[in-house]
Amino acid sequence: MSLDLFHYLALTLGQKAPIAAICVGFCCGLLGCFVVVRRVALVGDAISHAVFPGVVAGFIWSPDRNPWMIFLCALVAGLFGVVVVRAIVSSTRLKSDAALGIVLASFFAFGVFWNSTQQLAGVKGYLFGDLTTIADGDLWMMTGATAAVTTLIFIFLRPFRVLSFDEGFAIGLGYPVRFLNALFFGLLAFAVVVAMQAVGVILVSAMLITPAATAYLLTDRIQKMMGLSVLIGVFAAVGGWWISGLDNRLQTGPVITLLASFIFALIYLFAPRHGVLAKFLRHAGRKSRVHRENTLKSIYRILEGEGFKVAGVGVEQLAEVRKLSIEDVLKDGKDLVDNDEATWEEGKTAIYLTSPGWRRATEIVRNHRLWELYLTDQADYAADHVHDDAEKIEHVLGADTVRKLERDLNFPEFDPHGKPIPSLEATLTMEKTIGKQEGTGY
Amino acid sequence: MIALETHDLTVTYHKRPVLYGVDVEVEEGSLVGIIGPNGAGKSSLIKSIMGVIPTSGGWTKVFGKPIQENLHRVGYVPQRESVDWDFPVTVMDVALMGTYGKLGLFRRAGKKEKFIASEALDKVGMLPYAKRQIGNLSGGQQQRVFLARAIAQDSDLYFMDEPFTGVDAATEATIITLLKEMREKGKTVLVVHHDLQTARDYFDHLLLLNMRLVAYGKTEDTYTTELLQKTYGGRLTILDEVAGQAANLPEASHYQ
Amino acid sequence: MLSWNPWGWMMMMCFFVALPCALLGVYLILRRMSLVGDAISHSALPGIVVAFAFVGDLSSPWLLVGAAVAGVLVTVLIEQIHRRTRIKQDSAIGIAFTSLFALGLVLIRFLVGDKVHLDQDCVLEGDVSHVAYAKIVSMFGADVPDALIPAGIVAIATVILITVFYRTLTLSSFDSGLAASFGYKPGVVHYALMAVLSVVVVAAFEAVGAILVIALLILPGATAYLCTHRLKLMLVLSAVHALISSIAGIYISVYFNGKESAGVVIAGTLLFLLAWLVGPVDGVMVKAVQRRKNTLDKSELE
Repeated sequence: MSLDLFHYLALTLGQKAPIAAICVGFCCGLLGCFVVVRRVALVGDAISHAVFPGVVAGFIWSPDRNPWMIFLCALVAGLFGVVVVRAIVSSTRLKSDAALGIVLASFFAFGVFWNSTQQLAGVKGYLFGDLTTIADGDLWMMTGATAAVTTLIFIFLRPFRVLSFDEGFAIGLGYPVRFLNALFFGLLAFAVVVAMQAVGVILVSAMLITPAATAYLLTDRIQKMMGLSVLIGVFAAVGGWWISGLDNRLQTGPVITLLASFIFALIYLFAPRHGVLAKFLRHAGRKSRVHRENTLKSIYRILEGEGFKVAGVGVEQLAEVRKLSIEDVLKDGKDLVDNDEATWEEGKTAIYLTSPGWRRATEIVRNHRLWELYLTDQADYAADHVHDDAEKIEHVLGADTVRKLERDLNFPEFDPHGKPIPSLEATLTMEKTIGKQEGTGY
Repeated sequence: MIALETHDLTVTYHKRPVLYGVDVEVEEGSLVGIIGPNGAGKSSLIKSIMGVIPTSGGWTKVFGKPIQENLHRVGYVPQRESVDWDFPVTVMDVALMGTYGKLGLFRRAGKKEKFIASEALDKVGMLPYAKRQIGNLSGGQQQRVFLARAIAQDSDLYFMDEPFTGVDAATEATIITLLKEMREKGKTVLVVHHDLQTARDYFDHLLLLNMRLVAYGKTEDTYTTELLQKTYGGRLTILDEVAGQAANLPEASHYQ
Repeated sequence: MLSWNPWGWMMMMCFFVALPCALLGVYLILRRMSLVGDAISHSALPGIVVAFAFVGDLSSPWLLVGAAVAGVLVTVLIEQIHRRTRIKQDSAIGIAFTSLFALGLVLIRFLVGDKVHLDQDCVLEGDVSHVAYAKIVSMFGADVPDALIPAGIVAIATVILITVFYRTLTLSSFDSGLAASFGYKPGVVHYALMAVLSVVVVAAFEAVGAILVIALLILPGATAYLCTHRLKLMLVLSAVHALISSIAGIYISVYFNGKESAGVVIAGTLLFLLAWLVGPVDGVMVKAVQRRKNTLDKSELE
């Protein structure tokens, strides 16, 4: 079985298409990282459309379809596009978005027109991309170009990083920023030309942007981002090529693009930190925690009102204080019990705090009252105005901040309304007594 | 009458607190300078009152009603840099924009509106340039055009975001004369200002802001070393740290 | 007038398609949203293909609906990506439109098959020539090809919409803060503009294809922007640009025996180059003189 798989892999790798796919994924994935963080994604799009007349020129001027000729012409057209964009922006009031749109559309139109007057066959392959028709010469050119792009990126890794983050700082460091920018956009045009055979000039931007943007959602470090981006790019390119082989109506370019978008969608939804689902779950978790903590606090206040003489709180009493129905209180109580913060009296008529529940309740009340005091004492808010705010803040104060607050406020005992702020020691003593009551309570 | 009332106005931006629990009541007919260090939330205060940026808590009332119901009584002069000065409109067009609020969506600007706009331009000394494209003006002239637009709005309450920034001395004098004139007519004007030196002479009330409201009151009561030090003495670190996190919390349950 | 030759009808078709694009393009440029226009023109494809698969008729108004839905969808996708993650707007645009365009290309093969007039060539370069062979119907006493009618309706509707909402559009483009303080909803204006844009793009789709549309959107406005400081004049000039490039474009394509749609764009590009050189406001050659005059004016003022 494993031998079969190996055999299959060896066969696959012996083909031209997957090697070309790997080149494309590698080249675009690597460069795409800088494209995404430099916010020049749409320059990539403009270049990819602008190379089209170059492709047509290559076809016309080299009757034997020399890939190097096509490559060179396309590269020149792409670079010329970048130069025109810069010229428009620097010499008129037009903003860069309009300049990119003009270059993109007019270059592309010129290519379409020229092609339509000559009726060339084969040019369309460059528009939508077709990995299956790649010739030996193309493959050599693609591997060579990929190697060149990769080497140059690694040589100039540090300056590119600085440049992407802060161009002004790069100038200050004495980096040859003009040269680096020219090199960067040159490489970009290079990558576009490498990828256009696989995915077509229109969808090259997908290869440049999507894998890198996906990686951007997974990591904060550029080296790791580059690695992931290359991985995703290669996977999308090879996988897309494989899928498109399943049905003869499928073309490589659109399928590769869709696979890359699909991976992006997955990561967009499920990425551990930046994913939409993770954010949603974090928010939901926070919401239910806040809700539990508010219940705990109400129980604490009732107990406080009773002078801490009793250990349990009746469900009806809690419902009255929280202005909720009995059912809602039972549900809130269940949340606490499920979380080991409270236990029921038999028949669910009353609820008792457990040690962890008691500790958390005290913490919340302490946070609340400390914050009220901080706002009135140090931030000059009126005492009748701080309650609402403390209602929120009590849930987010960490242990460090609480310690800092206590120190700044000189270990206070009472909040601005004259209620006692439970200290840590008091909590521990209380916990012991409650524990005792708990033990003997029923 | 109270022209402007905010309660517990809170604004966060990218999880960072910008404004925190601002409570203020401004009497009709006051000329108020909003003073505070960079990043104190001065512009955010007026933008959030206008509803241009979203708030994460609190409310605002203008002449006793929510601002959305009283928008026609409020004029807003944004920072000069907030618009594209290459935009293909003339000085007259910009002044006319002041009348759009009262015109509604479909009524065309007629003779009356054009008269109002030219009068406003005349007041700021920009009438001779009415036909000029706004990009060909100096900074001070651009600010005057904005001011003319505000005059054409004929509101009762104005918010102005740094109108004195980057203008020449003559324009500064024109603006302050106009502001005082507005106050004499019973209008209420709140101005974001960052020059502490001139603040005392320009405004009759000061609103000292540094994320939180440090003080609001008559200039002679608030322009004190103690209060100014509090305003410019840096932010309260704990408040700064904690307030941002709180903005992401679901609404606190209200019970007592 | 009644016995126009085929070229005449083609010019008219091009103009009807180019005019609404030109007018909306002015606002795209002023709002710095040219590339959102690019994204919408690419993304209209899946909407058109799906609608076409259902109705089987390229001139059906359902195609407009499909494209408008796709256009709003891509705007929403862009917003969702760049609001909810740290990905910036430009990358979000790139991801959204390439996905939808690729989806459209796949769907063409699966849903449409080999039916005429909706294939990849059409996506790329469109086809105006069919107007010349379209069925002739009588309208207002004149005999016109039926293919001209939907484009004509979209063109007229756009002109009316822009006239009616001129002030709203202008103010919200120039100073969205002030517009919001007047109670205009910038979000509503934005999405309405995007929806109208999608409809205009799809009306142009058959004639010029999904990609060359971007030229019809940006070139007229950009050319006009280099020629005037007045918004109203800018709108008029962009309409003139649409007219001239439609006529000249057909001549160019006939002369070189090339694709009509691309010919129109090339004519438009030539007009842009002309404005870039000698445009009265921003032309490179006029600029030196202009700049000197400006400094003189300013020193006079101060």
